[in-house]
Amino acid sequence: MRLAVLELRRKPLRFAVVGTALWLLTVLLLFLGGLLDGLYLGSTGVLRQQDAQLLTFSSDSRTSLIRSRIDVETRQQVEAVPGVADADGLGLALVGARVPDETEPANTAVVGYETATGSVPDPPAAGTAWADRSLEANGVSVGDVLEMGPQQVPLEVVGWIEDGNYLGQSGLWVDPATWRGILASSRPDSSLPEGTFQTLAVTVADGADPDEVAAAIDAATGGLTRTVDVEAAIGSIPGIDEQASTFNQIIGTTLLVAGVVVALFFALLTLERTRLYGVFKAIGASSRQIFASVLTQSLVITAVSFVLGTLFVELAALGIPPGAVPFQLEPARILSSLALLLVVATLGSVISLRRVTRIDPASAIG
Amino acid sequence: MLLARSEIGRAKLRFGLLAGAVGLLVFLILFFQVLLGSLITSFIGAIREQSAPVLVYGEDARQNVAGSIITPPQVEAIAAVDGVAASAPLGEATFTMVADGEQVDASIFGFQPGGPGEPTNVVAGRLPAAPGEALASRESAQEGFGLGDTVSTASGGAELVIVGQTANSLYSAAPTLWTDFDTYGELRRAVNPDAAAVLPSLVAVQPADGVDASTLADRITAEVEGVEALTRDDAAARAPGVAEVNTSFFLVLGLTFVVVTLVVGFFFLILTVQKQDALVLLRAVGASPGYLIGNLFTQIAVVMGLGLLVAYGLLALFVSGSDAGLPLTVSVGTVLATSVAVVVLAALGASVAIVRVVREDPATVVSRQSLGGLA
Repeated sequence: MRLAVLELRRKPLRFAVVGTALWLLTVLLLFLGGLLDGLYLGSTGVLRQQDAQLLTFSSDSRTSLIRSRIDVETRQQVEAVPGVADADGLGLALVGARVPDETEPANTAVVGYETATGSVPDPPAAGTAWADRSLEANGVSVGDVLEMGPQQVPLEVVGWIEDGNYLGQSGLWVDPATWRGILASSRPDSSLPEGTFQTLAVTVADGADPDEVAAAIDAATGGLTRTVDVEAAIGSIPGIDEQASTFNQIIGTTLLVAGVVVALFFALLTLERTRLYGVFKAIGASSRQIFASVLTQSLVITAVSFVLGTLFVELAALGIPPGAVPFQLEPARILSSLALLLVVATLGSVISLRRVTRIDPASAIG
Repeated sequence: MLLARSEIGRAKLRFGLLAGAVGLLVFLILFFQVLLGSLITSFIGAIREQSAPVLVYGEDARQNVAGSIITPPQVEAIAAVDGVAASAPLGEATFTMVADGEQVDASIFGFQPGGPGEPTNVVAGRLPAAPGEALASRESAQEGFGLGDTVSTASGGAELVIVGQTANSLYSAAPTLWTDFDTYGELRRAVNPDAAAVLPSLVAVQPADGVDASTLADRITAEVEGVEALTRDDAAARAPGVAEVNTSFFLVLGLTFVVVTLVVGFFFLILTVQKQDALVLLRAVGASPGYLIGNLFTQIAVVMGLGLLVAYGLLALFVSGSDAGLPLTVSVGTVLATSVAVVVLAALGASVAIVRVVREDPATVVSRQSLGGLA
């Protein structure tokens, strides 16, 4: 073990190639992971801001916010269900917004809501909006009047909120009437009458079981609604599951490559050192000790490459202009990537174990 | 190149390992490209496989079909632009359909039969000729959208009989149906009885003879207030997500190519360094640098050849076994281009080893103890 560390310290260049490859793979892993997290967070902000445990959609909407509609009568039925403490209307309109003095319109998600939820305060006055801070990248500042949709409905930004986006479009949180007006003017085929929302955010009374309340709501409306928990609603946002599975496939394959790189390098190193290890065994070293030194080296190299790769990605992320790529590197992502890489590095080194155990101490004397 | 071959013969494991690693990496590269192609086709195939060379979007939709509407005055203004031979409304929306008794999300396009914007890649059956008839994407046949099936929206409205099938014409990676614009309007109203009007999402435009599509698109954008006209190719390339998907995939591809170069390069470098004494001796007894380089290249060729075979095998296995619901297609051109690129990069990676071989000075043999020289 001491020998392994000593070699790493004295001859670091011997490990430069495998280190570089692992560094690149780290960069790739973190980049992909950060992109996946960024896409996820940017798509789901509106739903993750909900304090409510349940969301009620119309049953023919396949839990799509955009396609769902809950009228006043259905809302009253939901509110009357025992165990429902509160049911707040929520609606969404995906609209392009013209920003003063900017040529490019911004993609926005206009969110109509009734009461403060998550980190979003109560709805602002009619005709004004809390804007997600990501709109700064589009040149929006507080006090700007945006022109919404083809009819250019004016909407004034009066403050910032964080993490309130939907489907990668920047959130503009407004009162229900303002939302309904923008929806009707920008998508006449989706316009909704007074009192009708797309979905209800249902807060369950203390002590009530959310699953039972959800079932009770759907029974009370005679099957006209489908109530799911917020997690399930997030999973049914178009593209969320597909994105995750595509990225995870690529991340998995990248890990496989990292394992192969480690395996190849240490298999070669072991091959080269067969005679040397023979001598070690002849003077009393066990296979376990020799393999431990191989494993130590592979883990140290992996960890060092990982740290350098992480630093590189963090620095490169500073260079990305805000809003260009939905990249967001979460600490949890960094830790899980490190753990996975260490696991594949261990597995990769195991390839050399067979060679190490097969070495005959007698070969030392030829 | 006897030497090259016998060396491989004696060290099957190490060359086998390398060929395996190369094979995996090349497979990865090919797999990414197949996935990228099919992913993009499943998102915007419908835009590529329709007949209008120019598509007009609402300006603030930012090239997103789902976010676009064209108002009646705009529809009239577009038709009046000089160089427009024909124009027709094209509607698109996602519906909850009931197919085979199950609820499924599907994308429905409403087009004007006989006008621009018709689906072009009909692989079975025929185009819809009457209200209530529809074409469906062949990729979705298993989900209850087969030829002759009847589907409806979960909100009621007209039933659609599937009278034909398209291929590679998906939109938003969902089952995609094409029906006439009036039927489409009826379905929209069934979903939302409060709809004030059903407006077209896009206007499909056929340029007059001799009028260039991109010139006409620019003219429409300039002359009609609040719209953005794009050629078919631009509309496909600039659809939301397509550019991002492309960029991230190319980044991944680039990195993978670098890894291939590194792995191959460093393998042969180690091999060369290990054999340094032997190479010096060979030079001293008269082997030319060209002969030694020839040996090295023979080995690279063998390793890469085997690696490519492994990659093709894995790709064939994967494509035949995959059930991702995506139209996976492997293009021979892509496979060939990738193979050539990988072999060239491998040779480049091995160039460090070549330099070492060439630099061996046969005279050092007399000063190396291990070769019997004087210290």
